[in-house]
Amino acid sequence: MEVSITGAKIFYTFPIDFPILGKFQITETLVVSWLVMLIITGLCIWLTRDLKVENISKRQAVAEMLVEMANKFVIGNMGEKFRKMIPFVAALFATSLVSNLISLTGLRSPTADLSVEAAWAVVVFIMITAEKIKAGGVGGYLKGFTQPIPVLTPFNILSELATPISMACRHFGNILSGIVINSLIYAALALASSALFGLLPGLVGDILAQIPFLSVGIPAILSFYFDWFTGFMQAFIFCMLTTMYIANASEG
Amino acid sequence: MQQVQDLVTLVPWTFVAMICNLFIQVYLIKRFLFKPVNAMLEKRKAMADAQIQDAVKAKDEAQAMKAEYEQNMAEAKNKASEILTTAQKTASVQSEEILKDAARQAAAMKAKAEKDIAQEKRKAVNEIKDEIGGMAVDIAGKVIEREISEEDHKKLIDEFIANVGEAS
Repeated sequence: MEVSITGAKIFYTFPIDFPILGKFQITETLVVSWLVMLIITGLCIWLTRDLKVENISKRQAVAEMLVEMANKFVIGNMGEKFRKMIPFVAALFATSLVSNLISLTGLRSPTADLSVEAAWAVVVFIMITAEKIKAGGVGGYLKGFTQPIPVLTPFNILSELATPISMACRHFGNILSGIVINSLIYAALALASSALFGLLPGLVGDILAQIPFLSVGIPAILSFYFDWFTGFMQAFIFCMLTTMYIANASEG
Repeated sequence: MQQVQDLVTLVPWTFVAMICNLFIQVYLIKRFLFKPVNAMLEKRKAMADAQIQDAVKAKDEAQAMKAEYEQNMAEAKNKASEILTTAQKTASVQSEEILKDAARQAAAMKAKAEKDIAQEKRKAVNEIKDEIGGMAVDIAGKVIEREISEEDHKKLIDEFIANVGEAS
């Protein structure tokens, strides 16, 4: 038996070859990320339908709670002056969370593609840099690399670049490891159940051996950790780091 | 055979598309979640503020009314005590007047009675004087058996009575 774990499927490749970017491909990652956007936007529209000032519905209470949570999270971590960052952080968290959890439906998570996390991390990195330049000016920003002594400049540049790379790889690695382990478990359980039911004599054993009975149950427990827990944790950690880094950057 | 990407790879187009997706998602979440909910929260806050202001206003009004009421009460009390004092004063003045009147009347009555008594007395004295005169003339006539002239007689008697009256 062979177990192969591959990247996202490519559905269609446009024949035009762009410079640098290469050929545009419609991949599973893109399609599912559009689906994720649709889900989030649909959820937002559904939650905020007929809002009332008093005597609110449960749905509205959830919407208010989400908004309050986002406000508290961003303002608590970054301070009042970053109020305009609330929708960005909320979008980042929601996209990350729904992308992680969509693997529960059998689709491939967009977050299981490094390009996605890299894109987010680069956006965050640009924001961090912009805040640093805003706080200290271009000179102050560049001078910051030679602190505390000029010899450390290469290391400072490395640590600066390590921020987005580590953010992207941390998230990607966690989701990917979940996929890898799930695939291995499924394969192993299928193998085990085929071996177990293959012991039965005759045709019955041959037929039952084809059905992976053991795959029912055990993967659900693992899925609880790898999909639910990791999905929440990674989305949370990514947003936490985003807010922390940007808030620190603005303090110089 | 389905084409697949490498497991760990950076696809430039996906990278660009995801950056766009992220910002589109930011706009969508802002437009469809934060904007309506924040507008509603703002409205609720405004309503609560208005209610608090109303309550404060009502409280102020009530306090003003209470102060006015208390002032009115104090005024009424003052007025009542004033009226009472005036009444007491009037009453005492009146009673004094009444007493004085009574005393004056009594004095007048007493004076009149005394005058009457004096008049009566004088009248009685005159009567007695006349009678005694008559009697004396008769007695003297009888005693001396002779007529002395009426005029001398009268003179004598009058002198006598005058002396008696002074002595009495």
